[in-house]
Amino acid sequence: MPFDQASDVPDEALLVLYANGDPAAARELAARHLPRVMGFAARMLGGDRAEAEDVAQEAMLRLWRIAPEWRQGEAKVSTWLYRVVTNLCTDRLRGRKRRSAVGLEDAPEVADDARSVEAVMVENDRVTALYAALETLPDRQRQAVILRHIEGLTNPEIADVMDVGVEAVESLTARGKRSLTAAMAGQREVLGYEEGS
Amino acid sequence: MRKEAEMTKNDLDDLFAAVRQQPATVSDGLMARVLEDAAANQPALAVMAKPKRRQGFLAGLLAAIGGAGGLAGLSTAAIAGVWFGFAQPTALTTVTDSIWGTEASTISTDTVNIMPGLDDYLIEG
Repeated sequence: MPFDQASDVPDEALLVLYANGDPAAARELAARHLPRVMGFAARMLGGDRAEAEDVAQEAMLRLWRIAPEWRQGEAKVSTWLYRVVTNLCTDRLRGRKRRSAVGLEDAPEVADDARSVEAVMVENDRVTALYAALETLPDRQRQAVILRHIEGLTNPEIADVMDVGVEAVESLTARGKRSLTAAMAGQREVLGYEEGS
Repeated sequence: MRKEAEMTKNDLDDLFAAVRQQPATVSDGLMARVLEDAAANQPALAVMAKPKRRQGFLAGLLAAIGGAGGLAGLSTAAIAGVWFGFAQPTALTTVTDSIWGTEASTISTDTVNIMPGLDDYLIEG
């Protein structure tokens, strides 16, 4: 498959090519999807890059494994990947909460995450505060808010990923933003917002 | 009056914009691991199997004439034909005598007029 024509090939066709042994199909699929998978995982995990890389690699591995059985025309590859990343991140976040609930002398969870975020990603304070606030949201609200306001998906696309109706998406994003606002109450000065800005 | 301590909708949108501008980049190591996984899980390239040749060309011909047994009959027939070709007419009469008796040898080998009555018809064009 000539390199200059590879970008015209639809995702599902690339999967078929991959499943039939084409040596270039995987490279094109990874180039298209890995950045978004990595970005979404990082945001769902509060900025933890190392964990996000693990999740991203696992999500792509599941794509390679399902390629021979991929049913054409059922779901978009990007939608499928968003779902897989969501499930993987949810599992990891539950694991984190379980682990942090065990110790009696654990520091508050937000502070822990803030330290790990600073250690692995170069972020300014505002973004750190947003990630910390996102982690306080219920899973579905967090997912909806990230997909809408960071990943930039439309409400129908989010409905597809989350397997709910569009009205449910609108409700989740609205509630999510209200929760975020509440979680970041009192942070305005800390974050450097000035009077009238 | 808006309390200064509260986050406004615009502030939140600004934060989202700040996060969007910091996409998590894909490290070379991650891309390499993902492509290694792809190669390790990829089905092998399927090659069209060539139809197996069960017999050679000559073996196919042999099968057409009935195998080794047929070949023996063929040989016999071929040899007989060669013998007939080389044999003198007298030799043939020997064969026919043995089959039909001596009467046959007295029959003239010239052309025989089967239907003499038709000669007049044949002359007329």
